[in-house]
Amino acid sequence: MMKRVLITDDAAFMRLSLKNMLERNGFEVIGEAENGKIAIEKYKILKPDIVTLDITMPIMDGVEALKHIKAFDKSAKAIMISAMGQETIVREAVMAGAFGFVIKPFNEETIVKAFSKLK
Amino acid sequence: MSREPMLEVYIFEATQLMEQLEEISIECEKSKKIGTEAINEIFRVMHTIKSSSAMMMFNNISVLAHSLEDLFYFIRENKGETIDFENLFDLVLSGIDFIKGEVSKIQNNGEADGSSEILVLKSSSLLRNMKETNAEIIKNDSTEQKEDTKHYISSYQSGDEEGKQKYVARIFYEDGCEMENVRAYTVVHNLKNIANEIYHLPKDIIESNDSVEDIRKNGFLIGFSTSERKEKIEEQLNEIIFLKELELLQVEEYPPELKVLKRKKEIILDQPIETMKINKEETPPLTITGKQQSIISVNISKLDMLLDLVGEIVITEAMVTKNPDLEGLQLENFNKAARQLRKLTNELQDIVMSIRMVPVSMTFHKMNRIVRDMGKKLNKEVELEIIGEETEVDKNIIDHISDPLMHLVRNSLDHGLEEKEERIASGKPEMGKITLEAKNAGGDVFIIVRDDGRGLDKKSIYEKAKLQGLVTKLEEELTDKEIFSNILLPGFSTNETVTEYSGRGVGMDVVKKNIDSIGGTISIESSRGCGSEISIKIPLTLAIIDGLEVAVGKSKYTIPIISIRESFKPKENEVIADSDGNEMIMIRGEAFPIYRLHRIFNIKTEVTGSNEGIMVLVEDNTKAACLFVDSLIGEQQVVVKALPTYIKKAKGIAGCTILGDGNISLILDVSSILDR
Repeated sequence: MMKRVLITDDAAFMRLSLKNMLERNGFEVIGEAENGKIAIEKYKILKPDIVTLDITMPIMDGVEALKHIKAFDKSAKAIMISAMGQETIVREAVMAGAFGFVIKPFNEETIVKAFSKLK
Repeated sequence: MSREPMLEVYIFEATQLMEQLEEISIECEKSKKIGTEAINEIFRVMHTIKSSSAMMMFNNISVLAHSLEDLFYFIRENKGETIDFENLFDLVLSGIDFIKGEVSKIQNNGEADGSSEILVLKSSSLLRNMKETNAEIIKNDSTEQKEDTKHYISSYQSGDEEGKQKYVARIFYEDGCEMENVRAYTVVHNLKNIANEIYHLPKDIIESNDSVEDIRKNGFLIGFSTSERKEKIEEQLNEIIFLKELELLQVEEYPPELKVLKRKKEIILDQPIETMKINKEETPPLTITGKQQSIISVNISKLDMLLDLVGEIVITEAMVTKNPDLEGLQLENFNKAARQLRKLTNELQDIVMSIRMVPVSMTFHKMNRIVRDMGKKLNKEVELEIIGEETEVDKNIIDHISDPLMHLVRNSLDHGLEEKEERIASGKPEMGKITLEAKNAGGDVFIIVRDDGRGLDKKSIYEKAKLQGLVTKLEEELTDKEIFSNILLPGFSTNETVTEYSGRGVGMDVVKKNIDSIGGTISIESSRGCGSEISIKIPLTLAIIDGLEVAVGKSKYTIPIISIRESFKPKENEVIADSDGNEMIMIRGEAFPIYRLHRIFNIKTEVTGSNEGIMVLVEDNTKAACLFVDSLIGEQQVVVKALPTYIKKAKGIAGCTILGDGNISLILDVSSILDR
């Protein structure tokens, strides 16, 4: 069974990049969300195996969304998408139960490595 | 458009973000205030640009975005500090210009080879200045934070030591996964669920950035005791993402380097609680709901294709329902079905047209930047008022009015608005005002540029036009509008001195040409000392128009309904001719010239007597005349097609259309006929 992924990022470019990379490597992208709020809604409906959450987003950021998702589904596997310099926020995400995190900019190799544990 | 889809998205998003950013920046600079939301927005835009550009390998853009992101990060963290608005937004706007420039290079298949070095330097020096001014506050902040991170308290320090095993693990991460210290923190955090007594090396994985290098080189060493089975621990540790290598050993005693830590009885804390709170404050909950959710973006060429197709369907529908084979047949059911088809094609057409409609707001708001830049350079204080920005016009038309509008706004600023002293002397408010207005009127859209400056000098315009042989009539015979319209003629410029922005001779005639090309008209009103108003009338859409089909000899012509005032059958004695043979007709006490279409287009026709044909009274902005045609055929919606490129200089013809029976009808260009 291919693992089903929900991608969350406010930048269409990032969503498309990640989608292409994941789909080329045996994951099924079942949805996209452009902010944390939509991510929570879609998570509840789609029940993905993995959710990626960008940290910096309008309306609701990734960490906030993570907390909601974790409250809804304790076993949710969330990969945070972060950038250099966001150490403090990433740590907060880890405390909130993030499965792991990937640093932008990333390439396909990085994504393959990061997600290999989730296949 | 065979560009790589990733690049396409990148260009689209970057352009959009830059425009958004430009608007926010100008708004902030104007109000000399920068709210939390604006800071967050700018920060977020730069953050996004930084990452996307880095992934597309546009490093110059990425580096610049990064430095601006840093700048706004600092501003965000040090709210309420004095900000040098002028320098800050000069920098941000130049940054936007740079990124826009690079993106447009990329769009035109060029290399993004510009250097952002100077801007990056400026940005970091601005940041340094700000840091210096705010140095004391930072000092206080950082001491507070340091204290926090010193408290290490284990949440699992109690519990019985019986049945517990000691383990030591060494973890190596994949190269290039970044932030190894935070990853180490993740391990510690997750182990807390099953272990107590956790010791690790490097020790400081929260504050110190040296730990990153340390972990890359020596791995992350961690000792803990737990009652869980080894397999369970192994399983948990193996789940770590970016894990390259894991050594897990069950031990009697921790290795000496960890033992040192044990003696110190260092206790591990969940998280420095204070910093967490600060983070929460960083992103205040916003109440905006996601408005972009229900919107998708479509390539304009696809819409063009769709429109073409709908045009074809409209023509084909007429070809079927008005097919000559059907003539004289009793077709009740067919007609019913045909009516339904017509209704649906009309709806389809309306929807396709509405998809292509875009509000003028983007184009209008772009002018903010011009007003800002020029106002600064010319040392004029100007307020730009925007009215009716939600007015919509066809995408094709928007592309054509952007340049003329820019030119008109520049003109207003440069020539229209007076210097401060002059304004004060004439009792006007010091701050000049330029108004941009858009409104719907019937099938047209009016775009108006108004200023409260010195107005046009009627006399000198007339004189100059006369000198250049552009007018022959006496000044008294001409209306103000007619005199002012001279400035639209090629080669006309009243300004003797050339400034940076206008007066280079390429001017209003280019504006006119642009507006002409989309079937628009320009009219100018002005009163000396009070300002001027230039209104541009443009059609809602170029693609499908309502037309009146007329016959002249064997040919058929289409007259756009919007320019028709009335049509009537003249009586013989109503038509009068002057000594040169120019015909005229009196309608309700007003004389209108008569143009016979068969003469204009050299067509043989039987209908020559003025009481045999039909008069169609047409008008554009200032002029009106009667067109003499053989007969009226009927009103019809027609799909405008451009004339083939090998037919040039077809004066009086705006385009052509295909009729239901497959014949071609030429669409008249009313304003050029009236200009004869």
